[in-house]
Amino acid sequence: MAEFKKFDQKNWVKTNLNYRKDSGSWAWILHRITGLALMAYLFMHIYSLSPLSQGREAFNEFMSHYTTPFFMAMEWFLFAFVLFHSLNGVRIVLVDWADGARYHKALYRYSIVIGVVMFFAMGYVMFSHEIHKLFK
Amino acid sequence: MYKHQNSRSSGSFSWVFQRVTGLILVVVMIGHYILMHYTPESGHSYDAVLARMQSNWYRVLDLTFIVLAMYHGLNGVWGIFRDYKLKQWQAITIMSLLIIVGLAFTLWGIKTILDIPYVQTSTSELLVK
Repeated sequence: MAEFKKFDQKNWVKTNLNYRKDSGSWAWILHRITGLALMAYLFMHIYSLSPLSQGREAFNEFMSHYTTPFFMAMEWFLFAFVLFHSLNGVRIVLVDWADGARYHKALYRYSIVIGVVMFFAMGYVMFSHEIHKLFK
Repeated sequence: MYKHQNSRSSGSFSWVFQRVTGLILVVVMIGHYILMHYTPESGHSYDAVLARMQSNWYRVLDLTFIVLAMYHGLNGVWGIFRDYKLKQWQAITIMSLLIIVGLAFTLWGIKTILDIPYVQTSTSELLVK
């Protein structure tokens, strides 16, 4: 019989942090964090688009706060959250429905690579206007 | 005995539907990002939104998007709570809060979309302007 370390209930935070994490554990943790963040963003999104019903001036006035460089950068990082949650979500579906348990680690690596490439591609699309202005 | 325990009462519906809605959301999200960031204005100006919303297809798409995203998100949050041993009153409170807040925000989003007026000018004229 293999010996198992007893789970230390009193220091469960520490025990969980010390748990050896493989790609799957990180995917699970990050999927939760990005999911919760996206949910918070969805509420914010509905709130921030609600001035649409007050007409052109009110909406454009409201939107001018969100087109500052700070919010544009935040939008880009939001895309990183969307990307991770989407790609890992597809990975989860493949694991559940397409025998992905046999190749889930490779899937994780591929999704990280695809994600990083798409993150920078989206960065170019989002800031292309500003980039073109810089090199005029 | 598990004689009367069928899969319908075990949460398997929400498990399947979480994956189905997730896949739909990935597809719609790709379209959403292309639409919103095709030009710097396309996602951030009233006129661009107004021009799109003249088409009922865009309205239906956005309404579907809100409802599916809200369901997927709240079901996900509930899934996190389900990982912990909740007492019955805690489970009922959390579930009720999620449903009430979710419904309120969903209705708010639906109202925002339906409040956008239909204008007389054609869509192409608006796009030129």
